[in-house]
Amino acid sequence: MQDNGSRSTALGESGLFNRIGVLRAERGISRQELADAVGVNYQTIGFLERGDYGPSLKLAFQIGDYFGLPVEAIFSTTPFQPLSQQVYGASRLSAARRTEPDTEESK
Amino acid sequence: MRAELVLMGKRINMTSRRRRRSLVVAVYAAMTAIAVAGWMIDRWHSTGSWLIWVALASCWLFFGGHYSRGLVKQFNGKGPRNADAMPNYLQLLFGVYRLPPDESEYRNDERELRERDRAHYQAYQGLGLGLAVLWLPALWLVSKPQWLAHTSFQLDQAVYGMIVVCFLLYTTLPQAILLWTEPDMEEDG
Repeated sequence: MQDNGSRSTALGESGLFNRIGVLRAERGISRQELADAVGVNYQTIGFLERGDYGPSLKLAFQIGDYFGLPVEAIFSTTPFQPLSQQVYGASRLSAARRTEPDTEESK
Repeated sequence: MRAELVLMGKRINMTSRRRRRSLVVAVYAAMTAIAVAGWMIDRWHSTGSWLIWVALASCWLFFGGHYSRGLVKQFNGKGPRNADAMPNYLQLLFGVYRLPPDESEYRNDERELRERDRAHYQAYQGLGLGLAVLWLPALWLVSKPQWLAHTSFQLDQAVYGMIVVCFLLYTTLPQAILLWTEPDMEEDG
């Protein structure tokens, strides 16, 4: 199982990267629970997580709805950045932006 | 695909691909043995129908696909007959009713439907080739060429045999491909 900060590299046969495993682990949801919620077999969730199966648009939206996230936050054609890097990278960037005007003023 | 095979009330774990492949090999070996025996007995004149029954029985018991039993879920996605039936008053009173099966037990999801279609495509590509090969002896059977009259080769028997084999493969091959190719099933994690 992937840890929360790991990069999703599950390209598989589908050509899609996804964060289903990460999101499931983060929320403590089993494959069966997710499968029941979106109406598929739990094996299919495994195939999705490994990137061996590209979901239909309907299933992708159902998964997005279930996690309360937009589809592009769960599926991508390019590798996802690790969540830690996204969260801390973004906060560091915004902190740097906040300090930028002060430095300009000081000049 | 189902993870368990129910045989005479016993549940056999079939999550491993190796087991499923062994089952496919065993079923086809048994069918081949029966076919060879039938050919030696009477060139399948009466034993040909046995083979058809054997193929249907192997689907019913092991492979599934055409029936609500077996490892592969029913191709048409229909549930068993009692799936939507509500128990009547007497059944409720005496508690002798069976709960309807979970829909995921018999309905294929979108990935399973895709795999089903792929397996049929692969199986019928091969069968199409078989039918193309069958066309030539069938043509000779109709036109009766002179050179064939001088040989002891029984063309009608060969054509009949090939039709029986095609029927056996039509009945069982898509399920066999599915059982052969699907990877090991994972535990729910």
